[in-house]
Amino acid sequence: MRASRRQFLKTCSFMSIAGAASPFALNLAAISAAAAAEALPGYKAIVCLFFYGGNDHTNTFIPYDPASYGEYNASRASIAIPRDAALAANATGPVASQGGREFAFHPALTAFKTHWDAGRLAVVANVGPLIVPTTKAQYQNRSVPLPPKLFSHNDQQSVWQAHRPVGEGAKIGWGGRIGDLLESQNANTLFTCISAGGNSVFLSGANALQYQVGSSGPSAITSISGTIYGSQGATASTAYRSLITGTSQNLFENELGVVTNRSIAANQQLSGALPPASTLPGIPANNSLASQLSVVARIIAARTTLGSSRQVFLVSIGGFDSHDILLVQHAQQLALVNAAVGAFYSWLVQLGVENDVTLFTASDFGRTLTSNGDGSDHGWGSHHFVLGGSVTGREVYGTFSPTVFGSGVDIGQGNLLPGISVDQYAANFARWLGVSSTDLPLVLPNIVNFAALNPGFLP
Amino acid sequence: MEIRAMHHSLRALSAVLIAVALGGCGQSDISQAPADPGPQGSGVNLAAVPQSAYPLPNENESARFLNQASFGANDAEMAKVRQFGYSAILEDQFLMPSHRTHEGYINTLSASNLGDEHVMQTFWREAATGQDQLKRRVAFALSQIFVISLQDANLQNFRRGVASYMDMLTRNAFGNYRQLLQEVTLHPMMGLYLSHLRNRKEDPALNRVPDQNYAREVMQLFSIGLYQLNPGGTLMLDSSGQPIETYGPNDIVGLSRVFTGFSWAGCPSTSTNCFNGSGTQSPNREVMPMQSFPQFHSTSEKSFLGTTIAANTTPDPVGDLNRALDVIAGHSNVGPFIGRQLIQRLVKSNPSAAYVGRVAQAFNTGSYQSGAYIVGTGQRGDLRATIAAILLDTEARTVTTSDPGKTREPILRLAQWMRAFNARSASGSFFIGTTDDPANSLGQSPMRSPTVFNFYRPGYVPPNTAIATADLVAPELQIVNEVAVVGYSNFMRSIVQNGVGSNSPRDVQPDYTAEMALAHDANLLVDRVSLLLTAGSMSAGSRSLIVTAVNSIPYPGANQATARQNRARLAVLFALSSPDYLVQK
Repeated sequence: MRASRRQFLKTCSFMSIAGAASPFALNLAAISAAAAAEALPGYKAIVCLFFYGGNDHTNTFIPYDPASYGEYNASRASIAIPRDAALAANATGPVASQGGREFAFHPALTAFKTHWDAGRLAVVANVGPLIVPTTKAQYQNRSVPLPPKLFSHNDQQSVWQAHRPVGEGAKIGWGGRIGDLLESQNANTLFTCISAGGNSVFLSGANALQYQVGSSGPSAITSISGTIYGSQGATASTAYRSLITGTSQNLFENELGVVTNRSIAANQQLSGALPPASTLPGIPANNSLASQLSVVARIIAARTTLGSSRQVFLVSIGGFDSHDILLVQHAQQLALVNAAVGAFYSWLVQLGVENDVTLFTASDFGRTLTSNGDGSDHGWGSHHFVLGGSVTGREVYGTFSPTVFGSGVDIGQGNLLPGISVDQYAANFARWLGVSSTDLPLVLPNIVNFAALNPGFLP
Repeated sequence: MEIRAMHHSLRALSAVLIAVALGGCGQSDISQAPADPGPQGSGVNLAAVPQSAYPLPNENESARFLNQASFGANDAEMAKVRQFGYSAILEDQFLMPSHRTHEGYINTLSASNLGDEHVMQTFWREAATGQDQLKRRVAFALSQIFVISLQDANLQNFRRGVASYMDMLTRNAFGNYRQLLQEVTLHPMMGLYLSHLRNRKEDPALNRVPDQNYAREVMQLFSIGLYQLNPGGTLMLDSSGQPIETYGPNDIVGLSRVFTGFSWAGCPSTSTNCFNGSGTQSPNREVMPMQSFPQFHSTSEKSFLGTTIAANTTPDPVGDLNRALDVIAGHSNVGPFIGRQLIQRLVKSNPSAAYVGRVAQAFNTGSYQSGAYIVGTGQRGDLRATIAAILLDTEARTVTTSDPGKTREPILRLAQWMRAFNARSASGSFFIGTTDDPANSLGQSPMRSPTVFNFYRPGYVPPNTAIATADLVAPELQIVNEVAVVGYSNFMRSIVQNGVGSNSPRDVQPDYTAEMALAHDANLLVDRVSLLLTAGSMSAGSRSLIVTAVNSIPYPGANQATARQNRARLAVLFALSSPDYLVQK
């Protein structure tokens, strides 16, 4: 436990020397030996649901009271969602923290509305990457440091998920950093940072590895056991395993062996521990996100067998880059999200862990308020959702600015200058999982520039 | 610039004359059916092509060259390379006609039943059996730079259009970058994919601005990239040591106005219905370059990359487009940016700056020389010169043990198996469907990238690895993970034994005759698969493991033919699974 922590600190201090700005160095000094990780009680996990492509937040959580809807409708021209019965069914009712304004979830997000009503779903308004708190004037004058390559997909995905080096090419994500600090809580550290949603930098730490699992769960390499094409005994399969797991001076060859070894080891542990998918009722068909969440639920179900205490998961869905045919395609994608998330929560309840697991959304960026005819363009700040039994829900955190052009957060084309930084958003999850406030800057270097969200959406 | 171009054009002209003369004396087979004339050959007199700086290659070197310059080595092509040398093969390939097109294949099928599998079929048919291998291999590389994808719902109804896009890349693979960029920009499938088809000029009254998608990606991905580059592809730094951005948000706004007023071709350019794709449309609109609709083209000022097209009263979509593409294609970043990625697709992941610089130089000057062999028109952006520079560079032709090479991506792993063992399709149509599923298949299908950022990024660094510590990039490792290694191993075990594709027996079957003939001697057998699949670079350790495994199949067994077959299959499966194969050196 201590060794892995020392290693982590060592790596971080190395990075702070190598990197440009270095809040690490300052904070390292502040960390006392007493802060070394102790066994944390119970089980907790977070699940990052990433919408690849940049979710059109404006049509996801929609101003609903007549005045607010009027502003929205006037601004969005041909790509506004009609204020009809379907929208009315998903309306939140007046939200006191937003001056009594009302909002509505996209008509496809019926399960989100149910969870809102039950008080376990929170909306966090206008979240996005920031380095320091930034005003519109500061943005326009470039008088404060800004995230690099705003509005670019791959870079902003990376900025959301990771901090350094900034932009695409980042090697350490904040999910992975949480893993660095908390993986010692798990009997098997490999099952700390788990992606069912493809490769992403989010889950790579300084030490913590991203373990990727298929939607149908772990599977075995057939040829490492038994016979192959009429071979006798285990000679061939033994040789095969050596062949594909060997070390090499060639760094690419060597890495292939490392990944293969990890795959074999993980499969051996998971295959006996995971309950079959058939134990999860109603897995939505033809829904990759639902499949990903089903394997997450199965891994959570095996937490005792695997000795897991703290876990960070990533699932993802693409198809959100709605430059075109926004109304149709966005509705299709959100319907998939709604079905998958709705089913996932029911599985958490079945497993009795609905208070121990928190799901939150993330995306490349929000999109423009302007229309290009039948779509929207790359933006910055976006609204996001947090779901779980421990969430203080039925609330909109932050400030939902009027959906008009020229507001104090409109930096052009109705793009939102974020009011809540990704670090502030992420800090809630890190703290809830058990990262101490002193260690928080190790996970989120820029958090030192921001106040904690008060109130936060998680205890 | 102008003077240099003229100087080179003289040499280019003489090269063309030589090529014409060569074509005259080598032509043999001209009586072909128009639909599928069958392989014709290039007509190049291979013996007369001036030699490059390299001596005639040995067997291993010939295999290694073909693994970079085609979808994979086989006996016939290796013999040709050894006999005539690299430059002859390049010249042969540069002038090799494409006797089939992807669209031609699609056109033989019922339009109402088209599926993604039909695009897969024509891809695999050409990868496995096309005579124009280098062009096809470069086109595949280009499809990973100028990405469109059948995963996009917008393209799902236009498989013929996607096939035509693949043909366009193939046709331009030995042409000029400027023309390629224009045909990419105006192809309706790119227009659909990056949404500049039907893109309208701004309308302040409706809070509407032009779609910025293509303006952004054409610079970020198809031409210049995010940061100013040195000629060797390294980042240019400012006085404070920071990278210098090539463009900002205002450049995108300016350029987005250029890409307005283009839509489906084949009907009146004054028709709003036509622009919107409604009403009567040409049945061929998905394979014709987009046309301009001046009334939807912005007349506002367009500033980008240091150029300003002044506001005008008469919309000039074609003029504005040409001007913009000239500016983009003329940017000093293009040579190193595109050159480095082509090197990564064909040769290695981590080329030196000097190597990238030499390739960029060939791109910039449109000419390349190795030994007595000179190639290129002398025009900036000449892709033959660029490709020759990539393949004939000393860094491409020499193996350095300290350089890890490149990881073979799954599509190339399957393609090379087909080539090495002369896989043939019983139907002739290569009935192979998509291979997306990483858990049970390749985790990669041609023309089905998840996004415009390709299956993997050219700068991908696997975190927490010795590769990252060594400051190397490993693009293809972005799609290698705990799931994919299982899927690949099990998929190959199945296809090595049963062939690949639908039907029973499976439509595409390998021919292991030559391997079976060596099956009595495990050492000879392993040497053979090592040559074909790893250009003879199998390590002693891997070799010994495979020999041991082969010998665990009794020979002679009760049934000698079966034993030979099993041994051949086992050697092939092991070689395909070996790190020696998975990483191309």
